[in-house]
Amino acid sequence: MSATTSALPGAENPGNVALDGLAREFVAALGPAAVVTDRVQLRTYECDGLTAYRCIPGLVVLPETAEQVGYVVRRCAQSSVPFVARGAGTGLSGGALPVATGVLIVLSRLTAVRNVSVDDERVVVEPGVVNLDVSRAVAADGYFYAPDPSSQQVCTIGGNVAENSGGAHCLKYGFTAHHVTGLEVVLPDGSVSRFGGLAPDPPGYDVVGALVGSEGTLGIVTEVTVRVVAVPERVETVLAGFRSMDDAGEAVSAIVAAGVLPAAVEMMDTLSIEAAESAVACGYPAGAQAVLIVELDGPAAEVSAELAEVEAICERAGAFEIRVARDADDRVAIWRGRKSAFAAMGRISRDYIVQDGVVPRTSLPQVLRDIALLSAESGIRVANVFHAGDGNLHPLVLFDSTRGETAAAEAVSERILELCIEHGGSITGEHGVGNDKKKHMGRMFTEVDLDVMQLVRCAFDPQSLCNPGKVFPTPRLCGERPGRRTGVHPVQAAGLGEVF
Amino acid sequence: MPTVAPATIDDLAAAVRDTAPSSIAVRGGGSKRDWGGVAEVAELEVSTAALDRIVEHADGDFVVTVQAGARLADVQNVLGSKGQWLALDPPEAGATIGGIVATAASGPRRLRFGTPRDLLIGVTVVLADGTVARSGGKVVKNVAGYDLGKLFCGAFGTLGVIAQCTFRLHPSPRAIRCVSVPLDDPGDAVRSLRRSPFRPSAIEYDGTRLSIVVEAFESAADAQAEQIRALVGGEVSAAVPEQFGARPWRSGEVGLKATFRVGALSPALALARGFRLSAHAASGVLWLGGAVDAGVLDELRAGFAAYDGSVVVVAAPDGMKRKLDVWGPVRGVEVMRRIRDQFDPDRRMNRGVLDAV
Amino acid sequence: MPSEGAWDERHPPPTELLDDCVHCGFCLPTCPTYVLWGEEMDSPRGRIYLMAEGHDGEPLSEPMVTHFDRCLGCMACVTACPSGVQYDRLIEATRAQVERRFPRSARERALRSLVFKTFPYPRRLHALRPFLRAYQKSGLRLPLPAKLTAMQRLLPPLGPASPVAELTPARGPRRARVGMLLGCVQREFFADVNAATVRVLTAEGCDVVAPSVQGCCGALSLHMGREDEAVRFAKRLIATFEPLGLDVIVVNAAGCGSAMKDYGWLLRDEAGWASRGAAFSAKVRDVSEWLVELGPGATRHALDVSVAYHDACHLAHAQRITSAPRELLRAIPGVEIREIEEAAICCGSAGVYNLLQPQAAGELGARKAANVAATGADVLVTANPGCLMQIRTALADRGIPMRLAHIVEVLDASIRRDPTLLGP
Ligand SMILES: Cc1cc2nc3c(=O)[nH]c(=O)nc-3n(C[C@H](O)[C@H](O)[C@H](O)COP(=O)(O)OP(=O)(O)OC[C@H]3O[C@@H](n4cnc5c(N)ncnc54)[C@H](O)[C@@H]3O)c2cc1C
Ligand code: SF4
Ligand code: SF4
Repeated sequence: MSATTSALPGAENPGNVALDGLAREFVAALGPAAVVTDRVQLRTYECDGLTAYRCIPGLVVLPETAEQVGYVVRRCAQSSVPFVARGAGTGLSGGALPVATGVLIVLSRLTAVRNVSVDDERVVVEPGVVNLDVSRAVAADGYFYAPDPSSQQVCTIGGNVAENSGGAHCLKYGFTAHHVTGLEVVLPDGSVSRFGGLAPDPPGYDVVGALVGSEGTLGIVTEVTVRVVAVPERVETVLAGFRSMDDAGEAVSAIVAAGVLPAAVEMMDTLSIEAAESAVACGYPAGAQAVLIVELDGPAAEVSAELAEVEAICERAGAFEIRVARDADDRVAIWRGRKSAFAAMGRISRDYIVQDGVVPRTSLPQVLRDIALLSAESGIRVANVFHAGDGNLHPLVLFDSTRGETAAAEAVSERILELCIEHGGSITGEHGVGNDKKKHMGRMFTEVDLDVMQLVRCAFDPQSLCNPGKVFPTPRLCGERPGRRTGVHPVQAAGLGEVF
Repeated sequence: MPTVAPATIDDLAAAVRDTAPSSIAVRGGGSKRDWGGVAEVAELEVSTAALDRIVEHADGDFVVTVQAGARLADVQNVLGSKGQWLALDPPEAGATIGGIVATAASGPRRLRFGTPRDLLIGVTVVLADGTVARSGGKVVKNVAGYDLGKLFCGAFGTLGVIAQCTFRLHPSPRAIRCVSVPLDDPGDAVRSLRRSPFRPSAIEYDGTRLSIVVEAFESAADAQAEQIRALVGGEVSAAVPEQFGARPWRSGEVGLKATFRVGALSPALALARGFRLSAHAASGVLWLGGAVDAGVLDELRAGFAAYDGSVVVVAAPDGMKRKLDVWGPVRGVEVMRRIRDQFDPDRRMNRGVLDAV
Repeated sequence: MPSEGAWDERHPPPTELLDDCVHCGFCLPTCPTYVLWGEEMDSPRGRIYLMAEGHDGEPLSEPMVTHFDRCLGCMACVTACPSGVQYDRLIEATRAQVERRFPRSARERALRSLVFKTFPYPRRLHALRPFLRAYQKSGLRLPLPAKLTAMQRLLPPLGPASPVAELTPARGPRRARVGMLLGCVQREFFADVNAATVRVLTAEGCDVVAPSVQGCCGALSLHMGREDEAVRFAKRLIATFEPLGLDVIVVNAAGCGSAMKDYGWLLRDEAGWASRGAAFSAKVRDVSEWLVELGPGATRHALDVSVAYHDACHLAHAQRITSAPRELLRAIPGVEIREIEEAAICCGSAGVYNLLQPQAAGELGARKAANVAATGADVLVTANPGCLMQIRTALADRGIPMRLAHIVEVLDASIRRDPTLLGP
């Protein structure tokens, strides 16, 4: 149904003749319901889940088929008009931030599940299919799709592929990259290519591997083949309350050192517990300074041995309450608190920044102490929700923009990323670089590293039309050879880490 | 062909850059030197033999950083002393880390742990012009920037020299049990295993015998093995059979790798009749050995294509390879060529090896 | 940038409520219009964004209004929102502004006024009955405009109207004295439901007080932004029930109940009425809610049926009542409850939505019918007359034979040991 098109196409960019013409062409080819040109309507697309960056797109197109996507991209390429893909717009790095002089291609209408082949452990979907719908498609057969971002009921597989999204259960099962075996992609020139498929190990370069996580800069994915896995025989979810983050952190290290590989190890601090309680009344242990959620899954015999071990470890580490979910409902209740934690921050703070950084797991306690110190010094509250098993921190920096705290909050948030880099970690574990963190890329990588990554970009998108201005701090024209590195790696020179 | 064996990454880069050779061959342990297309004789051979250090084993983080020339077996020894291992088990003796990554070599336990691409979390590479670059990092979870590591996995050295790798590690298995059962067609057994609640590390078929490996806590391993035996029959032992996971070809023969969608095991095995074989039966991978000519190869390719798979010639004497289309059709090859043109516009690296791209 | 924004001073959608939205998108998949069209402007997040744009200088333009009009007011987004965004308050304020300030086309005005001149007025609806009945019987299908066609197609087969007595005493020992809302649509088109409600309540030991003149609760007016009208209706209803000395006021139409539970807010600016409204609201119970609160007294006899229970939006999302009806059904021996896929998504009824947006309502109805049919249940049970009408039509259109019943009809059948009540 339609985006009412009342204003004339291109009205937003009166000077942009190319967009003007494209709008007319798209209306003719895709119908008026697929093209948005009215200013108030365009503005609803001006940001994704990270509202700090906004830009009114020149034009929004909502294709319904892969062919239409190909057509739209082809016409953009021929007219040298930039374009950006968007799924559900839940991204937290401004990856789907539109370009004012470009076209935003929204994939939310490509929602067909094209093929379910449980016997091959594969499902083939269009990019607009919601993550959780993949699991729903195979649930009756006892299978599920493992990558489970907290936004799984809304984010799309296309967005997941672009961001290489992860989730709580990725500790054991791996990220999106480990579960995508085939892609159909509209390349930035509008041509369509397929990579991989139902079978493993396609010959040649692992282009699927390069595309997953490329944040929509190498083309628009129009079909995704994913691997689904059998639902484990037994799942045990342990909820443990601790009197300090240190104790909880110790429990995590001990679990890992014991050779147990849980499906998930999640940690929350008091502030995030408070927010989750007020959102969904999850009933976490009262008075806990930290809770740990440990989920074990697998063959029954294995899980029961591990469960005993995990309970003992938590107790030794000082857990004052340990609860094991009695049934599926109980488990859902435990997870509900964790999964709602981000969005629930709105209940305890007017504004907040969701940070996403990674540190080696063993550095977790130190980094958490540093963050606490930072918070105390700045007077800016920081709530911590994170994937403790793989050291992926999600500090939530809480502030009130109406009280002029924005700058201080941003400073805290940036300092946290610096801490991650100093500890040999990463500036993003799952939300991507997007628009938000491109300025930090230079602290993790050298110019040369980035130039070499740009070689990939140039192979796919020599015109730099596909989601331009994202990921890389300084766009480089294709065709120049990257400079050569001589001497010591600057990251090493700065004492920030060893070259590896 | 002059060979250099630099001991540091900077020396490696300098060797390539300063001699600016017109063509470069990369050599690791040499255990797979007969893999891929026929390599052209290069102006310079770069050996990773002296780049064999374990740079850092962060055992608390289950992460290791190793130089490309380190031998897998040596790495496993060091890791094993801390109760950990790098969960890769390709059977080639003497293989180096760099070679394993470059060929994306896999073994039986890929069923549970995946292939090099799934465990590699950071990489340092040297391009044909001496540029040193890295991507990824040393934390398991990291989505900053493009994942060059994945592109280098299975690129057979054509995009640059892999100098150093960082991997995610796993705890060493506490106990191992293997259920072995002779079967003519393992299709149904494998299907029921895949649908079962069990989580074997490997399910291998050698043409006559299906071997299912479980690795877990002692008690859990026993319990699972017993249940698996009840499901498919056979015998339980505490060790894998001899020749477990070995490549099925002999020297002088043609070795092939065929892939297929995993549900098509039985028809895939039927296509492979007449070959010696070793199957990662629940992963959709078959290694074949025997006599192959162009006609046979075409037939096989047509057969496996019906299951969305491919057939590549892995190993063969050069003379035989020259008569065969080693790689066969490659899906998305135009894009791959563009990538190669960007990384190595003069095509200096490992010329001939990945001639399809 | 246009200088004058969409909203005037009088209760614009409050910015502090708009600020609660963190733009996470969790509400998208439960929004019926987003499910249908997949576009941001027709999602809760998009509508909230449009409201904010209105504060940011964007005018109340036709496209903007279109997206507000397309909102079903199903409040699924309120349930889904982890940030506690009060979309119900926001859309209510928005609609009042739109009604007051946006010039609609003549056609649209005519239709709206027809709806509002009949539906909230039991007597006018009553007067229409003979015509509608004759029309239905004649089998004539006159070439009416699409929206009017939608209206007449939705009507249930009309039986003779049967009034509810002003006072029906409890059977057995009295446990409570309850007032009963007769409802406009309910009383005229679903007289059987009202009769069953009275029987169940009395069987459970309630004196049932049902003033014959009670008027409309104002829900329709409120949901369509006719605030002043809603206020008038609310005051009259309060005045009618206040003096009757009731423990609770029972409602069997979810849409009415959700509005009546909100009188305190509706009357917040009316001198002397705010606290009266709040006191009244505190007594309002949906019939399922009340029966669970009361606990079963009368014996439930076995009914050998499988039941697909449909969550009416105004019960599940607006009043957050999902377990009570299921509990009541489960307590009947022999009843098997089957859950409907996409349960959270509206059937497209939504008050008079099916009259004002027939195409969208039709698509949602078809979708719901397919999901209902997939359960293979014998009976579809729900707690709202609008849903009953909508789903009946949608099932009939697809030629799916299925019995439909209000939940009190099922309870009534069980208590009276009369399974024929559920008969075809
Ligand atoms: C409350 C909340 C919790 C979250 N939790 C997690 C979490 O636990 N783990 C996690 O990893 N992420 C999480 N996220 C982030 C976000 O949900 C993911 O990044 C998700 O994958 C984005 O999907 P999307 O459909 O919303 O994509 P969008 O936001 O629309 O787009 C994201 C990027 O993908 C690109 N893109 C979209 N579709 C395509 C396509 N078809 N082809 C090519 N490029 C495309 C866009 O250009 C953009 O760069 C969370 C977000 C929120 C709001
Ligand atoms: S009330 Fe219903 S239709 Fe309206 S925005 Fe919310 S979910 Fe969508
Ligand atoms: S779920 Fe709530 S906070 Fe999130 S976008 Fe919807 S209304 Fe806003």
